[in-house]
Amino acid sequence: MSRLSPAERALQLTTVCCGLLVAAMLALMLVLAWPLLHSGQLLSLIGGDWQPAAGRYGIAPMLVASLLLAMVAVLLAVPLSLGTAFAAVALAPPLLRSPLMLGVRLMSGIPTVIYGFAAVFALVPLMRQWIGSGSGFTLLTAALVLAVLIAPTMIVFFVGGLRAVPQSYSLAADALGCRPVDKLLYLLLPQAAPAIAAGIVMGLGRALGDTMIGLMLAGNSAIMPESMLSTGRTLTSHIALVIAADFSSMEFKSIFACGIVLYLLTAALVAILRRALPATARP
Amino acid sequence: MTTTMNGKIRTESLSFSYGERLLLEDISVEFADQAITAITGPSGTGKSTLLTVFNRLWEEIGGGPLHGQVLLRLEGRWQDIHAPEMPVSTLRRRVGMVFQTPNPLPMSLAANLAFPLKLAGIDDKEEIAARSREALRRVHLLAEVEDRLVSDARLLSGGQQQRLCLARALMLRPEVLLLDEPTSSLDPKACAGIEELLLELKESCAIVLVSHYQDQISRIADQVYLLGERTLLRQR
Amino acid sequence: MRKALAGLTIAFSSAATLLLFAAVLLFVGVIVFRGWPGLAPGLIFGDTRPLDALLLRRQVFDGLFPAMAGTLALVALTMTLAVPAGLATGIYLAEYARGRGKALLSLLFDILAGLPSIVVGLAGLALTIVLHRLFPGRIGPCLLISALALAFLVLPYLVRSVQLALESVPRTLRLTAPALGADKLTTIRAVLLPACLPEIAGGIILAVGRAIEDTAVIMLTGAVASAGVPRSLLAQYEALPFYIYYISGQYADPEELQRGFAAALLLLAMCVVMLVAAQWLARRGSLRRQP
Repeated sequence: MSRLSPAERALQLTTVCCGLLVAAMLALMLVLAWPLLHSGQLLSLIGGDWQPAAGRYGIAPMLVASLLLAMVAVLLAVPLSLGTAFAAVALAPPLLRSPLMLGVRLMSGIPTVIYGFAAVFALVPLMRQWIGSGSGFTLLTAALVLAVLIAPTMIVFFVGGLRAVPQSYSLAADALGCRPVDKLLYLLLPQAAPAIAAGIVMGLGRALGDTMIGLMLAGNSAIMPESMLSTGRTLTSHIALVIAADFSSMEFKSIFACGIVLYLLTAALVAILRRALPATARP
Repeated sequence: MTTTMNGKIRTESLSFSYGERLLLEDISVEFADQAITAITGPSGTGKSTLLTVFNRLWEEIGGGPLHGQVLLRLEGRWQDIHAPEMPVSTLRRRVGMVFQTPNPLPMSLAANLAFPLKLAGIDDKEEIAARSREALRRVHLLAEVEDRLVSDARLLSGGQQQRLCLARALMLRPEVLLLDEPTSSLDPKACAGIEELLLELKESCAIVLVSHYQDQISRIADQVYLLGERTLLRQR
Repeated sequence: MRKALAGLTIAFSSAATLLLFAAVLLFVGVIVFRGWPGLAPGLIFGDTRPLDALLLRRQVFDGLFPAMAGTLALVALTMTLAVPAGLATGIYLAEYARGRGKALLSLLFDILAGLPSIVVGLAGLALTIVLHRLFPGRIGPCLLISALALAFLVLPYLVRSVQLALESVPRTLRLTAPALGADKLTTIRAVLLPACLPEIAGGIILAVGRAIEDTAVIMLTGAVASAGVPRSLLAQYEALPFYIYYISGQYADPEELQRGFAAALLLLAMCVVMLVAAQWLARRGSLRRQP
């Protein structure tokens, strides 16, 4: 490598600093959560319940609510996204395909807080009626909206994978008199498996990382959720809700533990994603 | 290897690899000044790569390592093009290059021609204008484009674009011109125009031309080398 | 059997597509229909005369002006911080970084791109706490900290758009300037960046859209329900998305709720416009790329 000019050094320095900041975030949270981690309470922190008055700062209910909410949202979103991706790639009339994708891209630009706001006034009353008791703010309410929120992300991945077949194969299939649905099922779908897996991982990441939907719709009680119809508080909501506490309290320190858990979960998903799909294949 | 009076480029025991593949092995040749030297050979043997060795452009593409010496006769003295006294930008200003497909920059004709001068630190507007006209005249483009020097260069026809690129290379008055199949993307008429031009231009510089058109080579080349099996064979 | 599978697939695909679009249209429809009546002259400035509000002669208590001013200031400051860093990083990753260094750096930026925004906000809060200990009483959650955290949040969008655009510049164009004696930095400045301008502009607009809508970062780093127009970089501020969140749980009367819906409609419109613009620019860039 030849020597760099001062301007090029500045580019390098900026890049390295930004990169280091990503790692420094984790370090900073570790330092601030240290009093909790240090006292050997790691297990009771991860596995215990949340009783700040009794000095118990476990985040297990939040961890369970987060995972439950994200997984149900992904379960709901996968068929929605897969069906829409099928339509956009092969099954919809050719003239409708590109407007369909435009619609999907527009969906991805709708702010999360807007979904939350609309759902508070449109979906929550319906849920209240349907369940027959309670406020209507449940994990299921949040999961329904979250599914719609993460669908565009997944669709973009799915469509990318389905379209990855070389044009010549596709034309060869057409020349053999293959109907679009047969081409989809026997040519496009089999080779799209890695992209579909990547899309699901990506959707799971977005669902786990989302704050506003859980915060606005899931009810936020810090107890272990019994079912999707009970209220729950996600890790992300927990951070947003405890923030008002005194900076030096143990309660406050526990949110950095939540941050660390979320950071590590995300990093693990990114690692899985990079392994599953080469950089060039990512949309 | 003996050197003749009118040599311009010389290689001594030049070897060059691209990754694992050895493309050129132990080549020692000398190309004449004021002459057209053609390099021909089957595709994939590394003809274009050989050209980029002479202006060190391969360093931007990747490849190497390079062993041996490449020398250029400047002011009557043979100088190593990898010597520290020869910055790569200086080398490339004295050794111009034209590519297979015309590559006008996404700007006006005038800006394309001014670009190399600005790089060389020449900002004087009158000098830029004068040298642009001179370069356009030498490539026989002046009459055609005189009235639209401010329009986008990519609006020209393929043959005009390639002549513009040649003119852009001439702006710096190079002593060597490297041409990588400069007519392969042109129609026969435009191709004949470029060939005529090269015969005129060789009066003022050494031209190294990569081409696989045998008829083109027999029409204009003074020296012909065949590149194959990692080595250069003199044919004519 | 094959035929049944084909039929099932088509039925499933149509149902899924219709369901998804119906759900999104339902949510958007609620915002549009209930927000539309609220788009009245008093929405932004309330009872205050617009000129008085704009010249900061009078505070606006019953309009969206403080929240809009806060969001504008926040996004402007965020992009001022993020664009230079994003450009520099994108250029370095595309043109200079190689091998292991590049792999490690792009892993870090991939992680950053995947991090929940609340975690980025939490890091901003952690920074605030550290600064608070260093300068007691001078620094708390504020506009500057929010902008720093948001800049970090949108950085990967900028880096990726710059890097991808540069890496897809065709080789013929890439070699033109070096063959004329340009050094690397000159080539980047004079040829490569101008050729990538539409894609980079698209990336910047995408990042602006992301910065406008984010709620999680700012609720941890200084956005509050009532602060008036932001007075300084070190002051707390109001912001449109935070206002919408706040109203959803805390509205006192139908009038306030109406204003919440109107604010949601405004934010939605802004984000959709940004997205359409970004798409258009990206498409223009890829069209121009073709020879």
